This record gives sequence, structure tokens and C-alpha cells, in this order.
Amino acid sequence: MTEAFPANLRVAPRAHIRRDTSTQRPHLPWAESIARGLAHLASLTDEAEARALLDARLKALRGALLASPYYVRQFQEAGLHPGDLQRLEDLGHFPLLERATLARHWDAVPTLPAEHDECVVVKSSGSTGDPVRVVRDRRDCLHMWAVLRFLVSRAGAVLPPRPRVVLLDALPGGLEYSVRLPIFHDGALHRVSVLRGDARERLCRVRPSVLFSDPEGLRWLVEQREAPTPRLVLTSAQHLPSELRAALAAKVPAPVLNYYATTETGPLAWECLRDEARGRFHVFAPDVWLEPGLDEVVVTRLRPSVLPLLRYRPGDAGTVRRDACACGFHGWTLEGFGGRGACHFLTPSGRTVDAWALAWVFKHHALRAFRLTQVERSRFELEVAGAAEADVGPLCERLAAALRNLGWTEPRLDVRSVEPSALATRAKPQPFRSLPFAR
Amino acid sequence: MRFDIPTLRKQLAAAPIVSPFSHELAVAIICDTFRLANVRPPSRQDWASLEKRANHPLWKEQVVMLAHLLAGSSLRDDSAKALRKNADATTVLQHFFDEVAPLSAEMVRSNAFRQEEFLRKWVRALDGEVLNESAKESAKRLEQLDYRKAQQEMKRAEEARRKEAQRREELLREAQQREAEARGWRE
Repeated sequence: MTEAFPANLRVAPRAHIRRDTSTQRPHLPWAESIARGLAHLASLTDEAEARALLDARLKALRGALLASPYYVRQFQEAGLHPGDLQRLEDLGHFPLLERATLARHWDAVPTLPAEHDECVVVKSSGSTGDPVRVVRDRRDCLHMWAVLRFLVSRAGAVLPPRPRVVLLDALPGGLEYSVRLPIFHDGALHRVSVLRGDARERLCRVRPSVLFSDPEGLRWLVEQREAPTPRLVLTSAQHLPSELRAALAAKVPAPVLNYYATTETGPLAWECLRDEARGRFHVFAPDVWLEPGLDEVVVTRLRPSVLPLLRYRPGDAGTVRRDACACGFHGWTLEGFGGRGACHFLTPSGRTVDAWALAWVFKHHALRAFRLTQVERSRFELEVAGAAEADVGPLCERLAAALRNLGWTEPRLDVRSVEPSALATRAKPQPFRSLPFAR
Repeated sequence: MRFDIPTLRKQLAAAPIVSPFSHELAVAIICDTFRLANVRPPSRQDWASLEKRANHPLWKEQVVMLAHLLAGSSLRDDSAKALRKNADATTVLQHFFDEVAPLSAEMVRSNAFRQEEFLRKWVRALDGEVLNESAKESAKRLEQLDYRKAQQEMKRAEEARRKEAQRREELLREAQQREAEARGWRE
């Protein structure tokens, strides 16, 4: 931990960091097989052959559905049973799983985990004010590292032995830690907060081979006088401004890989690396299946997990089609993707800040919905629905501290209680907005 | 006679049920199918004994749904062609209603899998075959679709899960108790 640590950074609740990283080792062959599976599917030119491989994965899913109390109850009500799911085409006859339903039945959807498996419950980002609790088994927690193996080879990045991975964090919590990472080529993971005075020095000391960040963190990186050059940069921002991408390319000569993931499903797709193919996200089959031909994302998890997901709707727009991309990818590609609506707030000094960096503040408070509007440079309006009276004070305190950490020295916050219907939208909630005169 | 299941299902999708037939009309439609094949249809008494044998509330719904499927597609003509001249109508129906016992009219109307199961079980009751499928493939598909078997499987799975959860809860409780007792001794 750094010495220079302003008191107002302490807006994050205590994090539980797993230090027993040697328990990752038994999962190494699995991680390799995940990467191989993704590479194999991405190289299959024959759609029928690819579909047959995916159909074969439905057997494990059928078993998981049978072991899920929620799905058994749903199927009994609808006159369905897991055996009806023999091919991907059969999925269309099964009911969708809404995000709100998963939030309500978060403890009934999972199967009973294996006795030796240690599961955790994580909360999705606070994009609705009512985050989804997600049960994850050990492999769910490690899955991104297995996918990273595939992405590294896809991007043509060559990593040194024992690569160091940095999670460059621009969230207002200021959380930092370092842990070993046996699952990823015996490497190490360092979380570095850009809010700390010595962030650049620490980053230079670590010399990361792989760097994960959001646009705020990448913007900070671009502004640095001297920065280390990772072999691969990853971001899951969904909306990565082209000017930032260009500035980053000038500063850091490494491929920038934008991927789409949700807490509930894990990684779903990655944006094609070709400049002319921006906005085209290649699906991580065979781990997940995104139903083609619809105008929204509908996910079925084909990888075994304690949390079977059948036709899950994360609430994002987009259409999936079979694709043979010039980048060499064969498979299914998500186009017209519209996830989180981009929203930027302006600090009093004129700096833009990704409003989504504040979403994290809300997931630690019980409320049904919220909307934060920047009304003037230093004035915000917070609309909350379904929040307990006693919870509003601590929420505002935490939010004000987060705003101060991001550059608003004296933020003014007006709070208003509203009905949930006042904040309802047809698609995914859009909880951040900026009024024109605030810009 | 080979039954074209996908085509039958398309025809049925194009002829949605506006209002259900009365039981008498449904019986008449089914009897007409047997007459078309020059097979003596079940008598009133036979229908009464079919109902008595079935002895469950879904039977009348199933009679109505069979009539809808026969009238709403080429199933009636195909069935007439498939029926052997020496077939016994009551035995055919008895066999069929035994097989579809857990299926409600709503399932057959709104659920693609249960409709397919209903159709295939009718084909099997007639000793018919399914187009582009070997007898083995048809049997396998029916096995996959069998809702009665699946219901039992779901019940067994639910029971096993409940017992396992109870066992773990008990183990956890015992461990907590052991820990509490040990702490007491140390103190």
C-alpha cells in the first residue's frame, strides 16, 4: 500500500483478496483446454461442424438444468424438460431469463456445487441500483484468465516468462493489491489505482506485459510523461472513443483489445482488432452461445458452471450473425452492439470523466433504481427509487467522496426520491446523464 | 404410411385453435377418421370405457386436442391411410391415451415439444412410421420427448438435491457444534 493515501479515498468497502493462489494450479489443464477450444471454434469454416460441436455441449447443460431448483420449477410450469434441449435450434422454445428474475432468484438458479468447490457470491456493477448477486464457482472466477490465453495468441502478443498483469484502476475506491497468478503462465497480478500519487512509478516498477483498464485509466495512461509498454492492452469499456484509441496507439504501441463481458455471464465477445471492423464483436464460442437473428443479446452458457444460464438477457442490444471475418475469425459476430449508454461528466477543470466509473458506488446500497444527472459543472441531481431513508445519507456521503476523488473539489448533490416507474427504460437502464449546460 | 412431422406441425401452426371443439364434436371427428379407413369406430359404450380406463381429468382435453390435430392438418387423411383394415379402433385409442396421459391441451397447443410428442405418439399408436427416419431414430426421438419419464426424472433430481442439501446442512451444523464444544473446553 502507498504511503500517500488521502483520507477521502476511503470510499470502498473492504475487499476480500484471495491469497491462496496455489489452488489455481490444478485448473491449469482446464485453462489450456478453454483457450484451445476457443481457437478451434474460431478456425472452423464449416458452420454445420461448428454447430455440431456446440450441440454436443448441451448434454452438460441439460444435467445442470435438471439440478437447478429454479429451472426445474420453471420447466414443470411450462410443460418442458431439459431433454427437450437437443440442438441449438431448440433454444427458441425455452423461456428467456430476465436480469430482474435472476436478481430475484439468484440463490435458486445455481446448482448445488461439488463439495470440494468453493463458490463465491459477487455483485454485478450497479448499473440499475439493484445489482444482481451472482454465484460463481472456482472456474467461473478463473475463466477470464483462460480466455486471456486465447486473446494473447489472437492478438499475436508474445509474452515473457512469468508475465505481469496490471489492472489499472480509475475507480474512486483507490483499491490496490498484488497477488501471484499461477493460472496465467505463473505470472502476477497488480492492481494499481491511478488516484494514488505514485501510480506512475508503481506502474513503471511493475512493467506489465498485459494491462487491463477502462477508458478513464487509459486516458490517464496517455497523459503520463513516461509509461511502460505492455504487449497487450485490454478494456471492457464497450464504448472506447476513437480519439482515445488514436492517442493510446501513439503512446503505447500495443494492440488494444476491447471485450464485452457481464458479471453474470463472464466474457461474451471481443471486438475485431481490424480498424475497419470496429463495432464487430466476435463471440467466445464454444463457451457461450449468443442467439443469432435477434435484435438483442440472448446468452446461453455452454461451459459447465454452478450457475446454468439458459437464454439470459443481459439487456444489451445487438444482432448476431455467422461471419467469416477478414481477421481470420470464423464464427458468430455481434453487430450493432449497444450496451451501456456512453456518458461523460465534466470536472470543474474541464476534464471529461466516464460517468460509469461511479456505477460501482451504487452497488453497495439497497435501492431499486437511480439516475445521476450532472446539472452544472459542480452540481448533480440524484434520483433514487426504493431506497431506505437511512441508506440515503451514507450513499450521498460515499458518492460525494467518489466525486471528490475524481476531481470535483466541492460537489453539490441534490437528492430526490422518485417512483421506480419514473426511471424505467425499455432496454438496459441508463442511470447517468449530463444536461447540455453542464458541458 | 410415413408421417411428415415437420409439415404437419407447419400446417398446425397455420391453423391456430380459435375455440375448442365440444367433446361430442371431437369424438365425431375421431370416429370419422376411422370410418375413412373403413375401420369400425368405437361405439358410445367403447368411449365410455375409454374414459373410465383413463380416469383422469386431462382425458377429455386430450380427445379434443386429437380432434384438432386431425382436423387442422393432413393428419386425418394420413391416419386413414396408415390404419390397417383389421385394426381395432378402441385398442388404438386406448394405447394412445395411455401414452399421452400427462399431456394437457395447453401443453400440446403452446409447446412445440409436447405437440411433437403428441403427434409422434399418435403415429406410434397407428403403427405408422416417420418420414426420413429409421424406426430406431423415431424411438430415440420419442424417448427424448417423453414427458412422463422426464417428470419422474425431475422429481428424482429434485429429491436428490433436497436430500444432499439437507445432508450438507446437517454436516455444517455438526461441525459448528463440535467447534463450539471444543471452545468450551479450552475456556
